[in-house]
Amino acid sequence: MGIEPKRAAKTASPQPLLHVENICLHVPIFQASDRKMLTNPGRFLTDLYLSRTKRGVVTILENISFELKPGDRLGIIGANGAGKSTLLRMLAGIYKPSSGSLTVNGTVKGLFAISLGMNPEATGLENIYMRGLQMGLSFKEIKAMVPGVVEFSELEDAIENPMNTYSTGMITRLAFSVSTMIEPDILLLDEWIGTGDAAFRDRVKARMDSLLQNSRGLVLATHNAPLMKSLCTHGLVLSKGKMIFYGELDEALDAYANNVHARP
Amino acid sequence: MSVNLKETNFFASKRMQMWIFISWFNFAIRYRKTILGPAWLLVGPILFIAIIGRLFAQVGGIPEEIFIPHLTIGLVGWALAEGFVMKSTTVFSRAKAQILQGGMSLTDIVMVDVLSTIIYFAHQIVLILAVFLIFRLSVTPYALVSLVGLAFAVANGIWLTIFFGILGARYRDITEVIQAIMRIAFLATPIIWIPGDTGHGGLMGVFLVFNPFYHFLEIIRAPLMGEPIALLSWVVVISITVIGSLFAALFSHRFSKVVPLWV
Repeated sequence: MGIEPKRAAKTASPQPLLHVENICLHVPIFQASDRKMLTNPGRFLTDLYLSRTKRGVVTILENISFELKPGDRLGIIGANGAGKSTLLRMLAGIYKPSSGSLTVNGTVKGLFAISLGMNPEATGLENIYMRGLQMGLSFKEIKAMVPGVVEFSELEDAIENPMNTYSTGMITRLAFSVSTMIEPDILLLDEWIGTGDAAFRDRVKARMDSLLQNSRGLVLATHNAPLMKSLCTHGLVLSKGKMIFYGELDEALDAYANNVHARP
Repeated sequence: MSVNLKETNFFASKRMQMWIFISWFNFAIRYRKTILGPAWLLVGPILFIAIIGRLFAQVGGIPEEIFIPHLTIGLVGWALAEGFVMKSTTVFSRAKAQILQGGMSLTDIVMVDVLSTIIYFAHQIVLILAVFLIFRLSVTPYALVSLVGLAFAVANGIWLTIFFGILGARYRDITEVIQAIMRIAFLATPIIWIPGDTGHGGLMGVFLVFNPFYHFLEIIRAPLMGEPIALLSWVVVISITVIGSLFAALFSHRFSKVVPLWV
């Protein structure tokens, strides 16, 4: 199945880590009218049985172009629903562009939905192996990483118990420790991860900083402007799926502010 | 889609490790909490064979040492086919989390599903062995041809899962259609009945040659029963394998990039 993103041969630095040219994403949708279920139950049922679900195509991203050079840290700015998360997923190779080209040089890892896909019936340890294998690690490599993961998640006592006995905090801790056990060249973040109780939050921060240090590029989507200022060098402003600005971060933040105020 | 580490030296063996471990692991988790464990896979078929098998053998006036092996191999083979077909339409929607995290490629997801169906099937092979021992049936080297039939079945399981997986991700109706068809297909395939000496008699009459499941089952069952395989069955099985694989390849080439949007 042709599912790998286009990928140039690995060569020395000056090549951009990410080269994105005019990518668009169109998504087929079902316009199920859930509201009718409450306001007009009769209509909802007839629609269901008469197959009146509307199918359509929605454009989520339109003509986005940018480049991420080694050392660049790109912040994606935009209101809710502007397409930030979708763009990140596209960079991670999960969604493929409907048109345009995306070239990736190096390894990419996105930290999204990190708690999903754990098997609650399996023990914490088994879940570490499962997730490790899914990330493309070999059994041996995971075995070597397990002590570190267990220690970091502070689950030494519970790691042999099924996950459905864990508290929410324990699950988050495990998910975070597992998801960050490999360090990619390009790190994709949908909101900064800060999780757990006070003590764990410090460790998370330390781990995130080390991930950042060891990565050659970052793409971050967040609403937190001060955080973005402290981390990012470049900014890309999205509005309803369109790129309205790409450039230095300060200018991007200004452009975003203008865009917000320009609207009635 | 494993856009993470060491993409350039992603050995085939590493992928195999992933497929085998994950499918085996899901299987183990499912039965770990039960007392009988995977033996549950045998309980249903044993009851069915012991009761329906003897009843139908008497009603149809067929000797048990012919009908019971016929029924057992038929049921076990059907379990494999049904596993492939029924699970195929939901293969991608069940793996939504893995797809959206970007760890596993669609190929990985398909292979894990196919392998887990094979794991279930492998357990039920015990039933065939048991029946052959109980009735003291002799087996000739010709029986090994059955393994060729099995290989064809697995190859078809792969393309089927890709093809119906993509279709099912887009149109949820496919799951319902398949369920409706499989119920009829079970009865239309000579599992709980014997087509007779001519090979196309029995309940379904001449329509039997249009049932693909019949031809697959023949290639697996006939060698074990010491019966010849009709040339037509080979032709049908090989054509379906080739055409199906081509279709699945085209389909995945065209649509695999939109599957993550559909799940």
